[in-house]
Amino acid sequence: MFSWTLYQRGMKGSLRMLLIFAMVISLYVSVIISMYDPQLMATLDGFAEAMPELMAAVGMKSGATSLLGFMISYLYGFILLIFPMVFSILCGNSLIAKYVDRGSMVTLLAAPVKRCTVAFTQLLVLISGILLLVLYSTVLEGICAQRAFPGELNGKELLMLNGGLLCLHLFIGGICFLASCVCSDTKYSIGFGAGIPALMYVLQMLANVGGNADKVKYLTFFTLFNPEGIAAKQGDAVCGVTVLFIGAVILYMLGIIVFSRKDLSI
Amino acid sequence: MGTISVEHLFRDYGNGKGVFDVTFHVQQGEVFGFLGPNGAGKTTTIRHLMGFLRAKSGSCTINGLDCWKERDKIQLKLGYIPGEISFFDDMTGTEFLRFLSHYRGLGKESRERELVERFQFDPKGKIKKMSKGMKQKLGIVAAFIHDPEIIILDEPTSGLDPLMQSCFVNLVAEEKKKGKTILMSSHMFEEVERTCDHIGIIREGKIVAVDAVEALRKRHIRSYTVMLESEALAKAFARDLGGTQSGITVTVTAKQSMEEIFMHYYGGGKDV
Repeated sequence: MFSWTLYQRGMKGSLRMLLIFAMVISLYVSVIISMYDPQLMATLDGFAEAMPELMAAVGMKSGATSLLGFMISYLYGFILLIFPMVFSILCGNSLIAKYVDRGSMVTLLAAPVKRCTVAFTQLLVLISGILLLVLYSTVLEGICAQRAFPGELNGKELLMLNGGLLCLHLFIGGICFLASCVCSDTKYSIGFGAGIPALMYVLQMLANVGGNADKVKYLTFFTLFNPEGIAAKQGDAVCGVTVLFIGAVILYMLGIIVFSRKDLSI
Repeated sequence: MGTISVEHLFRDYGNGKGVFDVTFHVQQGEVFGFLGPNGAGKTTTIRHLMGFLRAKSGSCTINGLDCWKERDKIQLKLGYIPGEISFFDDMTGTEFLRFLSHYRGLGKESRERELVERFQFDPKGKIKKMSKGMKQKLGIVAAFIHDPEIIILDEPTSGLDPLMQSCFVNLVAEEKKKGKTILMSSHMFEEVERTCDHIGIIREGKIVAVDAVEALRKRHIRSYTVMLESEALAKAFARDLGGTQSGITVTVTAKQSMEEIFMHYYGGGKDV
């Protein structure tokens, strides 16, 4: 069910990408947390009042009073959604579809290893990458917050919040993985793997603007991730991320089944 | 039933492409040559045997195991050189062979060193930078590394220089002596003539001939008997043309080369 040799190769392959994304996240997280300042909050709220549509589109709402609220407004609307998502897209595509497209999948299948083992191992590489990124973000946020504003951040709330974030990214990873398993051509694998999450994100931006576009929120899975709700342990918010998690597992299983059964012209 | 059995295999890709009712058997310890022009369906048939494609109708079995459902069990004892070699470009040859040994779960029994020496192959360079011939050598080493019992080779000598080609032919002959079963697709008539026991010729997705190499050759022998004026002339004539002389008659047999035989099956359009 699992090939350690293949897993090592996959992790080695995604290491560079992980480092780059970790660096970008470090930069943003440390800068944004250090910007937390109740006085500045007033300025930002001013922005939000002056151009509410634009600020809301990227998930920045006014009225964040605590440090966590501030982080939710400025990190969980864009940075911590987009960067791990791009990682999932690139990594998901390279794990299955790229091998099939280039023909090197022959090497993996012309060996006494089941196709479901290959797919499952590659999936674990993707999940490991996502897990590492979210874990790294959590630790980094904790350290940055502790150093700049000791005692301001509730650890439990942060963990809850990032648990929800993990579920969201596992779900996005599931979309990328399924696209990678279904499409034998990287062109389509990237197309669907990147296209669906990106479209959903754009819809989420539209929905955030509010007004008539508010209904759009029923069309995007990002709605299921409600950071404020999760931090406040609201039942429906926790329910939302649970749905995302279950969806992720279903997408993974679908991907493995499709890959095990499909014809490969390699 | 043979070690490798393909029975009534169908796969229609449209436009006359695909394989149509392909049936052949390869017995244990036999080298089977699978010949046909480009696009005839050789690789499609081999992909079915490898478990990459599911048979739409008909069946493929190796050692009695279904090539689609039990492909991982078959792969345990099978070696394969793909027609188009594409390994992991980011690795060096050495790293790739090490990866393969671990991936296959091989221990000390790996034939890597012996094969690398035999083909004078230097696996230290990056695979990306290797020439076609180098990659082909790497493919050969990779296919034989686990000492497989059944070997499927899709145009194995393409890109190799004549010296290495004959080195490869020797390897195949040795493996055959050890009782290995080998299926080899090829364009190289000479190589097939030298190594194979049986030959299947495929054209436009249909098997047009399956026979022993000798039988194919015999079927295409033509002999001419010539009468000459004197015995001395007959003797000289027989000597020059390699005929058999008796009195003033000389019988000359024109053996068609394998190549001509194949052209007979391949070429000539539908009226053949």
